[in-house]
Amino acid sequence: MARVVVITSGKGGVGKTTSCASIGTALAMQGFRTVLIDFDVGLRNLDLVMGCERRVVYDLINVLSGEANLSQALIKDKRVDGLYMLPASQTRDKDALTTEGVEQIINELKDDFDYILCDSPAGIERGAIMAMYFAEAAVVVTNPEVSSVRDSDRIIGLLDSRTRMAEEGKPVSAQLLITRYDPERVEHADMMSVQDIEEILAIPLVGVVPESDAVLRASNKGTPVVHDKESDAGQAYLDTTARFLGEERPMRFLEVERKGFLSRMFGGR
Amino acid sequence: MKRLRDFFQRDQDASANVARERLKLMISQDRMQRNQPDFLPRLQKELIEVIRRYTHSASDDIQVSCHALPHRSQIEVNVSWPKNTS
Ligand SMILES: Nc1ncnc2c1ncn2[C@@H]1O[C@H](COP(=O)(O)OP(=O)(O)OP(=O)(O)O)[C@@H](O)[C@H]1O
Ligand SMILES: [Mg+2]
Repeated sequence: MARVVVITSGKGGVGKTTSCASIGTALAMQGFRTVLIDFDVGLRNLDLVMGCERRVVYDLINVLSGEANLSQALIKDKRVDGLYMLPASQTRDKDALTTEGVEQIINELKDDFDYILCDSPAGIERGAIMAMYFAEAAVVVTNPEVSSVRDSDRIIGLLDSRTRMAEEGKPVSAQLLITRYDPERVEHADMMSVQDIEEILAIPLVGVVPESDAVLRASNKGTPVVHDKESDAGQAYLDTTARFLGEERPMRFLEVERKGFLSRMFGGR
Repeated sequence: MKRLRDFFQRDQDASANVARERLKLMISQDRMQRNQPDFLPRLQKELIEVIRRYTHSASDDIQVSCHALPHRSQIEVNVSWPKNTS
């Protein structure tokens, strides 16, 4: 029976899709059968980050409207076994996204998968509510920036009130994922630190992903950055996934990389 | 190392600190609003109208605030008015 997890943020462009692709890939690498659902109806991004845009035939809305069945719409990842995605539609209207329809799809997927990751659209409107409604757990993606932290707090409020779990009086287990973290700017006190954000949002931290060129390279190629095991962001997503699965790992990439003792003493950076 | 750096850095002016303080304020307001019943703005407006009919208070002299107690919600209304007009 699958666990349903929403990747959400409120604010747009903070790294939800990037995170969904990499965490999903890492879960599948660990042997968990995983399916990613793109709820960003009208935009459709996840298939690009996963690099399977040319194999999209049917999408979420086709399945909801009965024009295709799930097995026709699911796209199997070519790199990792047991990883699938259900693309969003690019054009069709969002009203087709009904609670009943989404519930039916999720229930059907639950039998076949260990994890169902829902990539939420930005905002706090219908699409975002649909993506979170059936979630038992949430990864709240936050950038170290005022508007992003504030929106994350709102999303945490919605997770506590507008989900099936909340309606049944059970908490959705929400975890904080800080992305695009820049230790150098934190050190110069121009960026809020991990501790600041943790303290304000008051949910457990599952990972910190540094600002990294590897993410852009990965999205250019359509390969989730977690495949780039040499890269800081790739390793950060592997760590995040391990923590998500309950393993304890120290946070990395929180400090500026020092060149050496001398440069440290004389401030060469 | 860190302590030395903090010592030399004027902490209060740093933009990250400003961000943190602004956020704390914003979020505490957001959270308060989030827990308010939907009818509160209307109730507030009508209460103020009724009270002013009698007291002629200025609108800042009437404060309605909502509190969440463990098992109940509570509103608190504070009204003041100038002595000679009542
Ligand atoms: N750790 C990172 N370092 C550098 N760039 C990043 C990082 N994470 C995400 N980005 C970049 O930020 C942009 C937005 O990322 P992404 O699409 O994952 O965000 P999103 O939250 O899904 O956006 P939307 O709200 O539009 O769905 C992309 O260009 C992505 O490459
Ligand atoms: Mg996205």
